[in-house]
Amino acid sequence: MDFKNLKRSSMKKIILSLVVITVIITNGFSQAKKPTIMVVPSDVWCNQNGYMMEFDNQGTAVKIPNYKKAFQENADLLQVISAINGLMAERGFPLKNMESAIKTLESNSAEDAMMSSKESGMGASESPVDKLKAVAKADIIMQLSWTINTVGPKKSVTFNLQGLDSYTDKQVATATGTGDPSFTAELAVLLEEAVLSHIDNFNASLMTHFEDMFANGREVIIRIKKWDDWEEDLETEYGDDDTELSEIIEDWMMENTVQSRYNTTDATENMMLFEQVRIPMFYEKNEKQYPMDTRRFAKLLSKFLKKEPYLIVNKVTTKGLGRATIYLGGK
Amino acid sequence: MKIKSILKISSLMLFVLFSFVQTASAQKGKKKADKQTIAWRYELEAVATGVKGTYQIKTWTYSINVETAIEQAKKNAVHGIIFKGFPNNGRVQGQKPIARNASVYDENADFFKDFFKSGGGDYMKFVTLANNGQIAAGDRIKISKKEYKIGVVISVNVAELRKELESRGIIKGLSDGF
Repeated sequence: MDFKNLKRSSMKKIILSLVVITVIITNGFSQAKKPTIMVVPSDVWCNQNGYMMEFDNQGTAVKIPNYKKAFQENADLLQVISAINGLMAERGFPLKNMESAIKTLESNSAEDAMMSSKESGMGASESPVDKLKAVAKADIIMQLSWTINTVGPKKSVTFNLQGLDSYTDKQVATATGTGDPSFTAELAVLLEEAVLSHIDNFNASLMTHFEDMFANGREVIIRIKKWDDWEEDLETEYGDDDTELSEIIEDWMMENTVQSRYNTTDATENMMLFEQVRIPMFYEKNEKQYPMDTRRFAKLLSKFLKKEPYLIVNKVTTKGLGRATIYLGGK
Repeated sequence: MKIKSILKISSLMLFVLFSFVQTASAQKGKKKADKQTIAWRYELEAVATGVKGTYQIKTWTYSINVETAIEQAKKNAVHGIIFKGFPNNGRVQGQKPIARNASVYDENADFFKDFFKSGGGDYMKFVTLANNGQIAAGDRIKISKKEYKIGVVISVNVAELRKELESRGIIKGLSDGF
């Protein structure tokens, strides 16, 4: 009987310590924010295959890709995207599916248009900026294009896959090449072969990008702007040593970026543009680690400017994981 | 009668000695080939785009006999895919190594010692000989009195190999840290 009690109490202790260890581990090792990736057919591919729409922009004819038409009409495109999505999911990195994202946006838009408050009958508020932002987007775009080369009866496929960072506009991964020419193989087979032979090299370069991100911080863009009606500007001086606001912001960037890595690309009395800003992957709050993104990073600067001695009211807007703008002088 | 028995005993002794020498030579060949694998003395060549999740490559292995070379080629293929990668061959796409840097071997020396153990190492799970291990005439090159350079076509299940190494914590997965 005593032995049974002893066994029970030791089991309880083991379970309790396991729970404690799990809690410590969960709190101690936070996960960084995972970038979303989406395969998008390139403008060149859309143009070559006739999936463009033209509109008149104040007298100038502008051509933009018609992705919806491409997804509805081109079975090869679906096959290639499906193969890439499948292979990426196997590597533990499921992709955002562009076709579904477009459909979701359309249904959301229809739902928003129909929605009205039960009490006042008013619709959901949407600013012009909200409307502009309602497009299918991802943090990293896998821009896809292929061309079919024909030499006599032989066919081959030139395949190009580019990984583009949506915010910094940098190419972070790539895989490109021309496959073996074939007399007999169908286009679908050649395309599948192209995906299979390029995806691992693409992922290897993507991995290099992620490793660099964990070692040197996430690269983002921060913009500072001022509202027209704000009486001060970025040349306004603060403190005993009459430091200009732009200098104060630069000092803050120097202190808060990883290894003080950032570039002041542009600076005037009305705006500042910081590029290649390396923000840490995590931040600490109440002795816990949380994943950092540009919004959180910009909020830290925003709070700094709201405090004494500056007392600058400001507004933060963001674009995905990698771009933020702080508007000074009001909300 | 006496001569007959002497002949019998001596032929038996000769047979035992011959088998011993052959086994010792095979062992020596394996050991030498093992050393050459670790010293990265082999070459990989892209043959064709494999089916989903596999690479089809030709492994050029150095050995004093063909049997050892065929067995060693399997080990070299897996070793090469993890640490060396292989270049483009005409229009067949080359691939980068799975391990991000060569120090992965030294950092996990005990794991790889077991993984590449001759006759039963885990590397065997990921390789298949193409064409039943048949070697084309041009792929058997005598490079010295005692040594051959032999090209064996092998299919390696890279998807499973990568998963195994990721699950053992030897290499990082694409989504690690997120």
